[in-house]
Amino acid sequence: MAERYSSFRSGSTAWLLQRITAAFLVVVLAFHFFNLHFVTHAADIEFAGSQARMQNVGYFVTMVLFLVTATFHGVNGIYNALVNQGIEGNAKRAAQVVLGVAGLLLVVQGIRVAIALAGF
Amino acid sequence: MSQSYDRGLIEDFGRWREFTAGMWAWVFHKFTGWVLIGYLFTHIAVLSTSLQGAETFNSTIQGLESLALVRLLEVGLLAVAVFHILNGIRLLFVDLGVGLESQDKSFYASLVLTGVIVVASVPTFVSGAF
Amino acid sequence: MSTQTPDTETESEAEQPSSKPHHERRLAEKRERAETKEAERAAAAQDIKGETVELKVFRFDPEIEGKEEPRFDSFTIPFEKGMTVLDALIYARDQYDSSLTFRHSCRQAVCGSDAFFINGRQQLGCQTQMADLDWPVRVEPLPHQDVVKDLVVEMDHFYDQMEAVDPFFDPDDLPEGELEEQRQSPENRENIKLSTRCIWCGACMSSCNIAAGDNKYLGPAAINKAYRFYMDEREGEQKRQERLEIIEQEHGVWRCQTQFSCTNVCPKDIPLTEHIQELKREAVKQNLKFW
Repeated sequence: MAERYSSFRSGSTAWLLQRITAAFLVVVLAFHFFNLHFVTHAADIEFAGSQARMQNVGYFVTMVLFLVTATFHGVNGIYNALVNQGIEGNAKRAAQVVLGVAGLLLVVQGIRVAIALAGF
Repeated sequence: MSQSYDRGLIEDFGRWREFTAGMWAWVFHKFTGWVLIGYLFTHIAVLSTSLQGAETFNSTIQGLESLALVRLLEVGLLAVAVFHILNGIRLLFVDLGVGLESQDKSFYASLVLTGVIVVASVPTFVSGAF
Repeated sequence: MSTQTPDTETESEAEQPSSKPHHERRLAEKRERAETKEAERAAAAQDIKGETVELKVFRFDPEIEGKEEPRFDSFTIPFEKGMTVLDALIYARDQYDSSLTFRHSCRQAVCGSDAFFINGRQQLGCQTQMADLDWPVRVEPLPHQDVVKDLVVEMDHFYDQMEAVDPFFDPDDLPEGELEEQRQSPENRENIKLSTRCIWCGACMSSCNIAAGDNKYLGPAAINKAYRFYMDEREGEQKRQERLEIIEQEHGVWRCQTQFSCTNVCPKDIPLTEHIQELKREAVKQNLKFW
């Protein structure tokens, strides 16, 4: 990293983003669990009910943000775990590609689901 | 030193009895993290049935929720998520440099609190499944 | 080192297969000697009056036939009030087996050469009281480092990491007069006081789960060393930037997972995790400022 003089230092940015998403996820994950197990019981979930929730723009945006932050937090977490194990070279490059693609696919599919549920 | 002897990961899992609080917190946080990201993928996969219309979605969800095993796994998921949240808050404080001297106590507190919340939630989670 | 003489002879004979009966006779003699020695050792142990403690020590010697396989040797040590693990090891070496090898020097937790894995924990032999431990006491070389012989581990990698953070002052400007001092405020001295205590014993690095997996990770001691200079107000601005770049690489501070293992084992009670966390926040702050 020392050889390319860039203002973007991946180490500190990824670390900070992991913490910021964590702070957001703590609140939203707790809300999500409470909302879909206590307010509405999981067994009573129906398409119509989900649609009613998702048509609220604030809820829709929150859920999409929830998806994006959770994916980043999870994928970056796995990547960190691999780097901690001393992964290097081609294996590291492969991990970056696989995790990046998997994360991207998850977000895309998740947004398609969100749109379908909201009925937009 | 080709002659020297590499004892390998001598301390790692064979010595779990000697792990300290901070180490256990890390092991649990990592394990729950793996479970949660794994669940996120399956969660989106199950919800993808909504793309085939309301009926497929409803029958899939209700079919899964009628299984006692799924209900039990949901309790497990709750435990995993609550621990990850509570220990995550602990780690955020550690990152801010707050309360580093009592990091072991805050780990035990998050364990106990996780237990309490999960036990208290069991009736709601399994109602109607058995 | 009289115990080594027969071994060198057997080694030279191994090159000449023709002298087999001779070789066998020598081996038998050697076995006999070993048995007598063992009996003597047992007798000596029985002669000890008063309380004794069992010391189990990791043994390994790649150069001696029959010792290439790591094993544990037991020594019966007469316990005395105030006895440290190092005292017990010295007794074992002096009374039972002069080939027992371990590093030690000052015997007062200053030189940092006798960090061992004692009852599953990295501690200084000279600082650990036998009375405070569960008996039998088990002494092993530091984990996650290659063993050279018995309790002696390869420290090169640890020293390389320590040197990787440029552990020296590089002030921007020196005072005018030749005998002029570079002053530091008492407050600043207070801030870095604990970080200056490091004795390079390597206990922290050995306890760190991440350093075990990621060989490039700087490790707690090196990061603490960087902290000691980074936080010092006499440090030059240029060098401060350079040092920050070293510690905020991928294998620098970000690898710390706040397991607190290093902080728990540090014999000088340096709050290592706290220092690493402070440098993480410092790196983030500096980068945000840049934007």
